[in-house]
Amino acid sequence: MDNKIDKILASVFQRRFKSITEEMGLTLLRTTRSPILNEARDFVTGLYDHQGRMLEQTEYIPVLAFAIQPACEYITQYFGDDIFEGDVIIHNDVFSGGNQNADVAIFKPIFHEDKLVAWAACKGHQADIGGAVAGGYNPEAREVWQEALRITPVKIYEAGKFRKDVWDMIFANIRYKIVEEDIKAEIGGCIVGERGVKALLERYGISKFRDHVDYLFDVTEKMVRKEIDRIPDGTYPGESYVYYDGIHEGSKMKINLKVVVKGEEIIFDYSGSAPQTQGFVNAPLAATSSAVLLTFLMLINPDIPHNDGIIRPIKIISPKGSFLNAEYPAATTFGNSITGPNADAIMKAFSTILPKRVTAGWNRFLGFTLTGKDPRNERSYVDILFLALKGGSGGTYMADGYDHIGLINCAGGILAQDYEMFEIQDPHFLLKHEYLKDSAGAGQWRGGLGVETIFEIYGENVTGIAFGDGVEEEARAFGLFGGKEGSINNVELRYPDGRIRIAKSKEIIRDIPKNTIFQNIAGGGGGYGDPFLRPAEKVLEDVKNELVSSKSAKKDYGVVIDKITMAVDQEATKSLRGRN
Amino acid sequence: MIFKIGVDVGGTFTDFLLMDNEGNSDIFKVLSSPEDPSIAVMNGLNQMAGTKGISLRSFLGKIEIIVHGTTVTTNAVLTGNVSKTGLLTTKGFRDALQMRRGIREELYNNKYLQPAPIVPRHLRLPVLERTDYAGNLITKMDENEVIKAIELFKEQGIEAVAVCFMHSYANNIHERKAEEIVQKMMPDVYLSVSSSVLPQIRFYDRVSTTVLNAAVGPILKGYLSKLTIRLSENGFSGIFLIMQSNGGVTTPEAVTKLAASTLLSGPAAAPIAGIAYADLHGQKSFITVDMGGTSFDAALVKDAQPIVTMDGKVDRMALALPMMEINTIGAGGGSIAWIDEGGLLRMGPKSAGAKPGPVCYGLGGKEPSCSDANLILGYLSSDFFAGGKMKLDKKAAEAAIKNMVAKPLKMNLIEAAYGMYHIMNVNMASAIREISVQRGFDPRDFLLVCGGGAGPIHAAMIALELEISKILIPKESSIFCAAGMLLSDLKHDFVKSFHTPFFYESIQKQLFFSLITDLESKGEKILSNEHIPKEKRRFQFFLDLRYIGQYHEVSVPVGIDDIKALRVEKMGDSFHAEHNRLYGYDLKKEKTVMELVNIRMTAIGTTDKPAFRKEKFAGTDASPALKGKRQVFLPSKMDFAFIDIYDGDKMGYGNKVKGPAIIEQKNTTLFVPSVFEIECDQYGSFMMTIIKDKALTHS
Repeated sequence: MDNKIDKILASVFQRRFKSITEEMGLTLLRTTRSPILNEARDFVTGLYDHQGRMLEQTEYIPVLAFAIQPACEYITQYFGDDIFEGDVIIHNDVFSGGNQNADVAIFKPIFHEDKLVAWAACKGHQADIGGAVAGGYNPEAREVWQEALRITPVKIYEAGKFRKDVWDMIFANIRYKIVEEDIKAEIGGCIVGERGVKALLERYGISKFRDHVDYLFDVTEKMVRKEIDRIPDGTYPGESYVYYDGIHEGSKMKINLKVVVKGEEIIFDYSGSAPQTQGFVNAPLAATSSAVLLTFLMLINPDIPHNDGIIRPIKIISPKGSFLNAEYPAATTFGNSITGPNADAIMKAFSTILPKRVTAGWNRFLGFTLTGKDPRNERSYVDILFLALKGGSGGTYMADGYDHIGLINCAGGILAQDYEMFEIQDPHFLLKHEYLKDSAGAGQWRGGLGVETIFEIYGENVTGIAFGDGVEEEARAFGLFGGKEGSINNVELRYPDGRIRIAKSKEIIRDIPKNTIFQNIAGGGGGYGDPFLRPAEKVLEDVKNELVSSKSAKKDYGVVIDKITMAVDQEATKSLRGRN
Repeated sequence: MIFKIGVDVGGTFTDFLLMDNEGNSDIFKVLSSPEDPSIAVMNGLNQMAGTKGISLRSFLGKIEIIVHGTTVTTNAVLTGNVSKTGLLTTKGFRDALQMRRGIREELYNNKYLQPAPIVPRHLRLPVLERTDYAGNLITKMDENEVIKAIELFKEQGIEAVAVCFMHSYANNIHERKAEEIVQKMMPDVYLSVSSSVLPQIRFYDRVSTTVLNAAVGPILKGYLSKLTIRLSENGFSGIFLIMQSNGGVTTPEAVTKLAASTLLSGPAAAPIAGIAYADLHGQKSFITVDMGGTSFDAALVKDAQPIVTMDGKVDRMALALPMMEINTIGAGGGSIAWIDEGGLLRMGPKSAGAKPGPVCYGLGGKEPSCSDANLILGYLSSDFFAGGKMKLDKKAAEAAIKNMVAKPLKMNLIEAAYGMYHIMNVNMASAIREISVQRGFDPRDFLLVCGGGAGPIHAAMIALELEISKILIPKESSIFCAAGMLLSDLKHDFVKSFHTPFFYESIQKQLFFSLITDLESKGEKILSNEHIPKEKRRFQFFLDLRYIGQYHEVSVPVGIDDIKALRVEKMGDSFHAEHNRLYGYDLKKEKTVMELVNIRMTAIGTTDKPAFRKEKFAGTDASPALKGKRQVFLPSKMDFAFIDIYDGDKMGYGNKVKGPAIIEQKNTTLFVPSVFEIECDQYGSFMMTIIKDKALTHS
């Protein structure tokens, strides 16, 4: 085959695939209505070949790095010959390749000379997907039907004809009108993708297209194999826990990972992890695979193209019935949120062999969604509070953790709301949004800082949904190689009558009165390396900036600072640090 | 003789365009002097005086106007050498500046660091005060906290103070009061107050812009006062204007108050130059490209209106002043070729720059670059680079490409060199797609206007990638931006946030009209300070609108009459139409409520533009300019051919050449592929056009 390959043309294809998926992404960014799409950018656009294999993708947040391919493969098999030009297929079902109920995908087949050549697809997190509660996060769910409307692959356009009956049936089960608009935006994104691929096909023809696509897969596979080959062979264990299943106080679910590196191949074996839970703390396999892929991508060359070749040397073993590969009809909305704990296990496993690439623990995600009525205009609102949930990342060799970055699933792709727009959009009055002192785990490279958010709730009929992890002492972001742990998460409601309600990590809190003060602490990341090795000047800078207290400087870093001159007391520091 | 001069300070060269009142133009280039850019400016002026055979003093005495584009502010930010700045901000929100809304631009790169904030946390001082979104004062400002903060600033030797309070766009009483106190206690400090700099909603954008403005204010002020003194000491008494990133010019006094308006002003003159050159051919919609040694800038102009963005970034920090939307990528003559781990060829963004430069320069460059490939392919000539001033080392270029590109890819030298050339073209075409296709424009409807020394070798192949059929290469293409500066109007942008549902009954008319009047009087004032007569003043209004519930606004131009008569429906229709063009749909039929977010106004003072001199018709025959033949690689044949080489400086109005051909000029080289023909216009510019029947057979 190699003699048919024009290596320059292969580069051209790759560049064009990337830019087409970026064009699709931009379309979504600008046309979607829901802030979780256009502000938090929780969506992915991609192109797939006729078998559903990933050609290229632009994910705005990493957890979607592998979110479409399993469904696309399923769909090509499910419809078989029954796929026509002009079809548009909608899908979210986690038991047929979906990663999360609320992530609804649109697939559009691309034909050339009457042959199915490729697919354009967009997938985004929708503001609502039916189920028992608005907004799609239902910590009380026991089965999938309490979480969401299941959309198995279904055509909303058939050979160019709009299926109004199907469309209406789907949206009769979804609360908000904007979801319809956002799905239209996804269809628009797919049309943009189809247009781009068709232009390539007209210019180069099917056979050149297919040959070069196969070549691109091989080239990417080769890159990944080379990366894996550099990792010493062996078996490396890593473990981590998810805390609280939303039902049983004190429960914790084990992630039992064994990374096996053998030559150019790598296995992520989750055998022995906790069985699937009664509640919604479960992941479909696609979500577990995404967690593996995104963490692994952080450990290798980040410039490797995202196509099917990237996953070929990677094998994931996750036995059915475990909470990392839950069986029908489990509730699974928490699945994506297991990414953080899963990444912890992966980082720990690699820490012995890739010590300079792994990070210490990232602050675990604790989200809190508020729904209610805005008395200023009588409209109902949903606010996922992106600004409050962003803690710090873990420190790593040669770099401090990133402050206020948020969950590893998003890795800084999610934007905090702007304060002024936040107050205009929703009935909240912000009192504080600042870095939290002493939240970052101490280390030679310290963790990223956590953030404290306080605001007053002016809404009416307000319900809050806590959704996350990291409130238990044990769930602090871990330190590495002598680095210290980051601080924990906490959500506290101070009711106008003086009562204080501390939220569990997964629960629905109803009837929150107007004028309640909401306080959310997103903790810091773990530190990396012995804090006593951190240059004293850097510690001083953090003290001056009131990010580290002088008490912690002394205790954790062994740096004594003269409070009057605000200078490092060299003598005292030396003697303190020398003792260790 | 009276002269006008455009001066564009770049990273490597400072470009000059000298025009006299008969329309004659001369191009000058001198090496830049980054430690003090005014040295290069004065060197260039000296050189020009020399060629005119007169003293600097008498030359400067004949200059009517100098328009100057400077990068002092941009360089200050990029190198971290900004003024020591303090920030006063609302208690509870002092970290917004540093947080940048928590974005990490490289998702998978855990070693990617946050940019150091321009003001460290210990100099971001909180003040107890609070206004709500509607402009109601919720907490009165604690003046003692302001005073204490300023005392600390004095102690710390602060040179610039930024003030940014929550919702100050809605009510700036607290900011004004704080400003007064700062002025009283630190009379010499550079002050940047958010409600003056950018009275616009979105706190992070505003605080970041206000702080950037403060941090570069003293630097710009110092530079401009030094330069104006030097100029006037040497006999200059003409008008001196500064280029801004909005594509307009202004006086040193006005620009000093809004120093941040010069950040990213470097490439802003290109669309303006494009408007003038394209207009000579009756074209109003075009894409300008400017390819230098390191970077490639692309901008789109529709109906003689450049695309303006409010989403600018400097060193990853928000700069929300309106500016020309320019897409810059790392692609230039110096872009370096490398092979990725999967064995695919890549070009750039790393560049050999001017030093050491491409391998063929023989100045120590070791890695093969775009120019090296262009030399191997015959587009550049070893003997006629920079008008023959510099000899290129072809052997060295060959060796580098052979060893570092051809061998690892198992290709021959020519395949490798063509691969490099082709990937460069694909990358640049992608950059153009981002500002056209991704913004709802079809590049095929646009003329390509090509500037920059390295551009015309690639222009035709980029055009083919995008199916663009016409390319204009202006006579002054190698100093495109310097030319644009001379062609710019005075321009000032004003904004006022005014948040309201956008239907007739809901708009508070009295407030709305008073804002309009206020914006107009601000515009009148600044233009009258610049001595622009009434008949040359123009005001353009824009409304930033969105559908209720949306997060992003669309800025739509509206007529003054429509805004004054509050023709809501008509203005709303403009919004529906623009939304549809951008995003493929509108919600007019659904009668979705619109929201007004900001009112914007641009005040324009029209300047007298230099007229280009027209040449006499010289006939279609270009053979007098033919200077020889050489082997040049033709992509259509995938092989070399022995083709005509013309001396472009000898070609006259009407001369036509059919591709394939090379046209060499003192400062640039044009490649005309087989499917194009090129014609010299009456201003000495070249228009390259695709030959339709040939294009059909092109693969």
